[in-house]
Amino acid sequence: MSFLIECPNCGPRNAYEFRFGGEVKERPDEQSVTAEEWADYIFFNKNVYGPQKEWWFHTRGCGCWFTITRDLRTNLSVAPEEEIDR
Amino acid sequence: MFLDLLKPKKDKRMWRSHTMRAEYDVVIIGGGLHGLSAAYFLARDYGVKNVAIIERRYMGYGGSGRNTAIVRSNQRSKENVPLYDEGMKLWPLLVKELDYNLMFFNCGNLNLAHSEAEVAGLKMNIATAQVMGVRSEFLTPEECKKMVPQLDISDRPKYPIMGAMFHPPGGTIRHDALVWALARSVDQMGAHIHQLTEVTGIRIENGKVTGVQTDRGFIRTSAVLTAAGGYSASVCALAGIDLPVSVLQIQAMVSEPLKPFLNHVVSSGRYHAYCHQSLKGEIVTGAHMDPWPTYTTNVTADYLKHQGETLIDYLPVLKNARFMRIWGGLADMTADMAPVISDSEIQGFYMDCGWGYFGFKSAPITGKYVAKWIAERKCPEILEPFKLDRFKKYILQKETGAVMYYTPWN
Repeated sequence: MSFLIECPNCGPRNAYEFRFGGEVKERPDEQSVTAEEWADYIFFNKNVYGPQKEWWFHTRGCGCWFTITRDLRTNLSVAPEEEIDR
Repeated sequence: MFLDLLKPKKDKRMWRSHTMRAEYDVVIIGGGLHGLSAAYFLARDYGVKNVAIIERRYMGYGGSGRNTAIVRSNQRSKENVPLYDEGMKLWPLLVKELDYNLMFFNCGNLNLAHSEAEVAGLKMNIATAQVMGVRSEFLTPEECKKMVPQLDISDRPKYPIMGAMFHPPGGTIRHDALVWALARSVDQMGAHIHQLTEVTGIRIENGKVTGVQTDRGFIRTSAVLTAAGGYSASVCALAGIDLPVSVLQIQAMVSEPLKPFLNHVVSSGRYHAYCHQSLKGEIVTGAHMDPWPTYTTNVTADYLKHQGETLIDYLPVLKNARFMRIWGGLADMTADMAPVISDSEIQGFYMDCGWGYFGFKSAPITGKYVAKWIAERKCPEILEPFKLDRFKKYILQKETGAVMYYTPWN
């Protein structure tokens, strides 16, 4: 099944209207970052088997960027406090 | 005598269940084709038979039973082609060795191009193939039509066909049979298959693997191979290793059996739709990839619509075909469309993952070399380019623009 994503402007909409924008990660400081840290930031993911905080972009809608916490096992959004830290 | 035949046959299992030993020489996590192949070659070539294969669900639950059975060696890069090519030559040998009819159908793959850029791209693939001694050739639309008369090579389709790469060595193999045959063989050679067993931890002491915790008890071991397909990220996380993958879902479906008409695997990167006719007459077709990470294997209406619209645009003959089954599987995609076959900073912890949607065709040959790596504790030359540290060194492989134009964003 496809699923719904809650856009802060447009409310719950079909997931195919959105573009996935990656896991929420801490962006390294660009002045002091090493090549290896940058590679880690751009290529590596957690792919957590459970709820994950992530970026979305409403491509076919209002065009805003936002984050949600989605459980990758069910595609349902969960409240942020249920996020598991690994 | 006649009545004997009517008696129910004694239950003869393809592989047995075992009590878990306290110690194994090698523990393989994942009961799919990559794990089974590694176990097979460990036993066959190196006499390493005290091996456990730990599977959370059942053998072949993941990508091994969810792929569309296509094999080929028409990749782009000089690192990938030799591995797949050697893999292609392994199939006929395996059919004999495993004593199982894998139904290898050497029908060849036809990859369509719909623009000047795609024609140029395919010609690069063909050039690579010819340098590496792999058979691939360029066909004009008229030659394609001769091969597959049902193709619409007119200007009518949204993306008219401008040429194709024909790859005669490719074809299809019955994927379930390969799982069963390998599982039967490794069982006969002494490896233990533990289904319905989940790995919950990996014990590491002084930078070395010392054991694996499962929900059925602890196993002492000095070598662990992760071959968990789409679930590899979770397994590697237990050892504190992040993977450069996104786990995406890919779907496929099968039609009712039709009169045989399609003698090749026909694929189009532009349409994101390929198909072939199985030996039972069904049209097997994929594959649209949902552009977000997920561990669900649900199917979507969007996929059905996409597949219907695209497939009949270049193969209008399928317009009234009825589809029977549809399913989804996981693909752990790397940024450079090449796998992660690697050791790690943890001594004895090996990975064979990041295969995305091409793990099936590569399984036996990869298993052969991974077994060599584990047995000899030295990376075989052919696997050097696939190590995990290539991402930290920015030495990405040039497979991205290859035959299929799949990225997480289309």
